Amino acid sequence: MNYQPSDYLPIIVQLGAALAFIVLTMVATHWLGPKRHSSKKDDVFECGIESIGDARTPISVKYFLVAILFVLFDVEIVFMYPWAVNFKELAWDGFVEMVVFMSFLLLGFIYVIKKGVLKWEK
Amino acid sequence: MQQLPDVIRQIPLNNYVWFSAALFCIGIIGVLTRRNAIIIFMSIELMLNAVNLLLAAFSSYKADPAGQVFVFFIMAVAAAEVAVGLAIIVMIYRNIQSIDVGILNKLKW
Amino acid sequence: MNAIIALSLSGIASLFLGFSTNRKNLLITTLLFVLVALGLNLADWNHEYFWFNNMLKTDNLSINFSSVILLSTALVVAISRSFGDDEEHTHPAEYYAIMLFAAAGALMMVTYENMIMLFVGLEILSVSMYILTGSDKRNLRSNEAALKYFLMGAFATGILLFGVALVYGATGSFNIHGIGEVVSRTKKGMELFEGGVILYAGIILIFIGLLFKVSAAPFHFWTPDVYEGAPTIFTTFMSTVVKTAGVAAMYRLLSISFPAVYGLWGNPLVWITCLTLIVGNITAVYQQSFKRMLAYSSISHAGYLLITILAKTPNTNGSILFYSLAYSIATISAFAVLMIVSENKPKDGKPDESFEALNGLSVNNPFLAFVLTVSMLSLAGIPLTAGFFGKFFIFTDAFSNVSPLFKNILVVAILMSAVGVYYYFKPIIAVYMKKGEIAEIQLPLIYKITLIITTALTIILGIAPDLVKNMF
Repeated sequence: MNYQPSDYLPIIVQLGAALAFIVLTMVATHWLGPKRHSSKKDDVFECGIESIGDARTPISVKYFLVAILFVLFDVEIVFMYPWAVNFKELAWDGFVEMVVFMSFLLLGFIYVIKKGVLKWEK
Repeated sequence: MQQLPDVIRQIPLNNYVWFSAALFCIGIIGVLTRRNAIIIFMSIELMLNAVNLLLAAFSSYKADPAGQVFVFFIMAVAAAEVAVGLAIIVMIYRNIQSIDVGILNKLKW
Repeated sequence: MNAIIALSLSGIASLFLGFSTNRKNLLITTLLFVLVALGLNLADWNHEYFWFNNMLKTDNLSINFSSVILLSTALVVAISRSFGDDEEHTHPAEYYAIMLFAAAGALMMVTYENMIMLFVGLEILSVSMYILTGSDKRNLRSNEAALKYFLMGAFATGILLFGVALVYGATGSFNIHGIGEVVSRTKKGMELFEGGVILYAGIILIFIGLLFKVSAAPFHFWTPDVYEGAPTIFTTFMSTVVKTAGVAAMYRLLSISFPAVYGLWGNPLVWITCLTLIVGNITAVYQQSFKRMLAYSSISHAGYLLITILAKTPNTNGSILFYSLAYSIATISAFAVLMIVSENKPKDGKPDESFEALNGLSVNNPFLAFVLTVSMLSLAGIPLTAGFFGKFFIFTDAFSNVSPLFKNILVVAILMSAVGVYYYFKPIIAVYMKKGEIAEIQLPLIYKITLIITTALTIILGIAPDLVKNMF
């Protein structure tokens, strides 16, 4: 079986339907909804509770650290896919190499824990 | 079920080359013209992704897995680069409250 | 390549040692790790091996380059002392670990057989250097240098990678011998074989990426800023280890993969070399800061190294190695003296790195003055120092190449060496002639030993260059 570019027509139709729905609802609510202005209504985030301060408050650098660590360790998974595909062919050699690789990562993780990066209350 | 390389091969190789060259040039222009460190950084990532795309296309046209392996390495190393790069940018932001590269002119040549 | 494995493992070990031992022990253990790696590296002598499924190949040339790199690393580690004595904001264990990893990356760059390893080695080295450049977190100049280095470095990597991808598309191989074979088959003038444009574009892009990394002239603009902003100890590491590794990687690639298309990269390289020499030397004359002058001088030395890559004579291996060795040891002693003097005499709370900081050094510190003088003479290429023979071998190579272009390069190079003599004498004059007050500086033992080693090596190689030259 061979895919032709025309086989992707349903995707375009779907895309068109989705776009049309969004545009339609946006225009319709704009027309149908009543418009009232007041200081409360014009709040940036109107939900019944008064908003306090600025959206750009500094957040703890710990979030950043955790996010960066996630990116680092997450991407290393990429090397496990080729191994998983060729798991049988690589046999024990591949397994040992993967264990070495993972233990390097694990050492990094242990270092992170020992440094206290993941401790939230300090 | 078709193999993925066959699907890739339905588009002529030239198109891939032109497309990734275009992406790469957009990245270069972004690096050269933007002033915001994060956006420069994103442009660099765009350049790397152009390379990844090109390697994957060549690899499936040549039926040689080496190109895809290279892509894995580029992705992993790019992640390390992201970590270090963002850390540097955050460090600068904490010191001067801005990431405009124009402000960084303590060192003149 | 056992040295690479040893360096990676010892890098992790020194990370964890940071939890238990104090700074002084860390220095000694790191030094020991580097020396062990040097020993393992030399143990491979005369064995031509392929490692890891043809990913790396050790031969005598790569072992020589690795030895120069490891020797420089050992000397830099020896003068690292305590990274400025600031207990709270410095993390010596991490710095040492990153330096060990960087050295492992540099070794990969000189032993690679496959483009993947060139890329991975280059990135290990570069990412480590980004971190070390920004390690002085509260200093805005260090921050700025780190950001510039990072953005420029990542940009150069992107260009290099696009080149690699195009060359892969044209030749179907990442193996440098495999690429070389295909490239040599497609020679026959400059006609465009199938995908020929892709190949040539790829080679040019790889070439540009590598020139960024060795900071040759049109691509040098990040160098002075980064060298000046980085903490001096890491500037030393950058201008020795990173430069040697970059030049070695470039030489390996150009001499194995692309000798058949010499016309393609040779002609631009002639202009780039001349430009590098002129820009590096002329701009160095106008610098007020000693550190910045050394940065420009490192650009000009990259120019001299490019001459011998261009010359392509049978002696090129030996010339590059000798020059890198002579340059590295002289640079390390120059930076060491700068570091000692500038930390001793802060101005506005920061180390004073201008030429004035050196005024009158010889009165109370004749040893430091002598070390600085020898290293400056060596960098300038005055006879009886290693630098003289380094330049001599390079000029001989250029002279023995029959191409008339080389006579032009030679003229530029000799003129620029004369300019170099002028600015390298500025610190010497400051040390001996100018008046200034510097109290006697107490040197730790390890500093003294390192400086004696570098100075002695510089003089010995200057008197008897054959001792080392014949080894290469």
